[in-house]
Amino acid sequence: MELIFKVYRHDPTAGTKPALESYPVSLPDGATVLDGLLQIRDRHDGGLAFRAACGRGFCGECTLRINRSGKLACITRVAQVAKDGEVTVEPVRNITVLKDLVYDVDELLWQKIAWVEPWLRPATAQPDGGYVIPDAELEPIRKAMSCYYCGLCDEGCSVIPFDRRFSGPAALTKAFRVVFDPRDGAARERLKRLGEPRGMWDCVHCYEANEHCPRGIDPTDRIFDLRDKAVELGVKSGTANPQVARHYDSFAASVRQSGWLDEGRLALETWGLGRLGELLPMAWRALRRGKLPVPYLHRKRPGAEWIRRIFDKVEKRS
Amino acid sequence: MSYAFYPGCVSRGGCPELYPSAVKVAGRLGLGLEELTDVGCNGAGVLSRAVSDPINARTFAKAEARGLTQLMTICSTCTGVMGGANLRLKEAPAYRERINREFLAEERLAYQGSVDVKHLLWLLVEDYGLDRLRAEVRRPLKGLRVSPFYGCYIRRPDGILEGKPARKRYLEMVIEALGAEVTDFGGKGKCCGFPVLTANEPNSMAMVAAHTGEAKSKGAECMVTPCPLCHLNLDGGQPRAAKMKGTAIDLPILHLPQLIGLALGFSAEELHLKRHIVPTRQVAEKVSLLT
Repeated sequence: MELIFKVYRHDPTAGTKPALESYPVSLPDGATVLDGLLQIRDRHDGGLAFRAACGRGFCGECTLRINRSGKLACITRVAQVAKDGEVTVEPVRNITVLKDLVYDVDELLWQKIAWVEPWLRPATAQPDGGYVIPDAELEPIRKAMSCYYCGLCDEGCSVIPFDRRFSGPAALTKAFRVVFDPRDGAARERLKRLGEPRGMWDCVHCYEANEHCPRGIDPTDRIFDLRDKAVELGVKSGTANPQVARHYDSFAASVRQSGWLDEGRLALETWGLGRLGELLPMAWRALRRGKLPVPYLHRKRPGAEWIRRIFDKVEKRS
Repeated sequence: MSYAFYPGCVSRGGCPELYPSAVKVAGRLGLGLEELTDVGCNGAGVLSRAVSDPINARTFAKAEARGLTQLMTICSTCTGVMGGANLRLKEAPAYRERINREFLAEERLAYQGSVDVKHLLWLLVEDYGLDRLRAEVRRPLKGLRVSPFYGCYIRRPDGILEGKPARKRYLEMVIEALGAEVTDFGGKGKCCGFPVLTANEPNSMAMVAAHTGEAKSKGAECMVTPCPLCHLNLDGGQPRAAKMKGTAIDLPILHLPQLIGLALGFSAEELHLKRHIVPTRQVAEKVSLLT
């Protein structure tokens, strides 16, 4: 295959601007994008910087944007991604580039993972001979334990392009892994921290992370697991975002009472009187267009009693 | 074929223009709808699955009790949340049995696992057929430039596509079947920001500004969405998003049944286009000049 690789080049220390440089490559059928990068480094520019290690999709080191989509370079076949004989290779988005395709993994992953305190905090002293955990008790977290921190989920995340501070699916998956570890005894404290701004409630649950994860961990579902656990333990927000807990409580109270959602009530009870000044103009706009959901004037759905009973049973069980 | 119709909360709450538009369109197309009136909110991804899975199992059981296995929604979020619950209930009979036993038995209900959740969009393409839809068009929307906006839960996770990747192109296919032009843009499958409107309003509004702004810059005259929650943010939040970004956007956002309704010959008034926050006058005027 004769192709053109368009590769992101940038040396911040040289004071030059980033640019896509074109390189001709000649590769056998079945070659990967990493093969192409290695050839460019061998034949055209020994100064091209990129990360790679295992070469077989086992270490998560070579995460890059390939034709505008996050992928591992070592298991991405050129023939499958080339468009009109071209392959574009760029670093992960929204992250500081150190040189060319090498970006700051500390910023992308490690600082965020450190924020979720990725170590066990057992409730009791370690027994003599260490912890013995039956296989079945580890089963729920086994997949999450297989995460190799490639960062593809963060690369595909819908929130990070708008807010780099968001902890992101990789760190939250790590949080899931410790919260649900049978040896850990600090779930409530952890969930309180994870409930603060930049944590689990800032996730838009768009499921992009599931699509990007090469390990089948389904990070979006793991974030839902954390949120469900937080609700179960009554830790529905952090201290800096109490409106999140009010939103959940109002939503649940409305459905429990009438079977469906009272949107006017939800807005009022979530934001309270503190933001009445902002809510009133919105309410006025909606009223003028005949679409203001009037709070509390909410008829019960037929059969609402059965919905209430479902809530009662779940509460009784937890 | 008859469909159990699950209209959702927002189509009669925050977006009261959606429900009547959908009913009119379904009536004109001859879709046999039996509305489920005695079922609950599916949880919208807000309620924990411990509560919402039993509520959704009850909804499915109610449809089965009426002899219906096809359940139609008019909301991407309803589709995704109910579809996800349905997958869990279908794939794990033991889980389904436990929910039947613990929550539904006392109402003499049991979900057997036979229901399929389908958005109107999927139903139109897969069951009704685009050729039939084209034949029903009385006013081709010639020259109207429309950007599609899907809503996450009708595209992801993979399971929701049920092995039909073309579902990620259905909106464009319907727009073209109605005679309009697709104005493609990168944000069509992204998140609208609504899920974090409460937790992180600046992020939510930034997403609205980015997607509506991008579509507008590509030349769209309006955007169409099959999700009323996206509509709440993209339409209702647009003035605030524009203000936060310090720019004007003014991109009308239409519900899918409204765009279809215009092509079927319904008037802007019949489809309640005046109930939108971002004025739809220019779209209505352009369409009214078409024959």
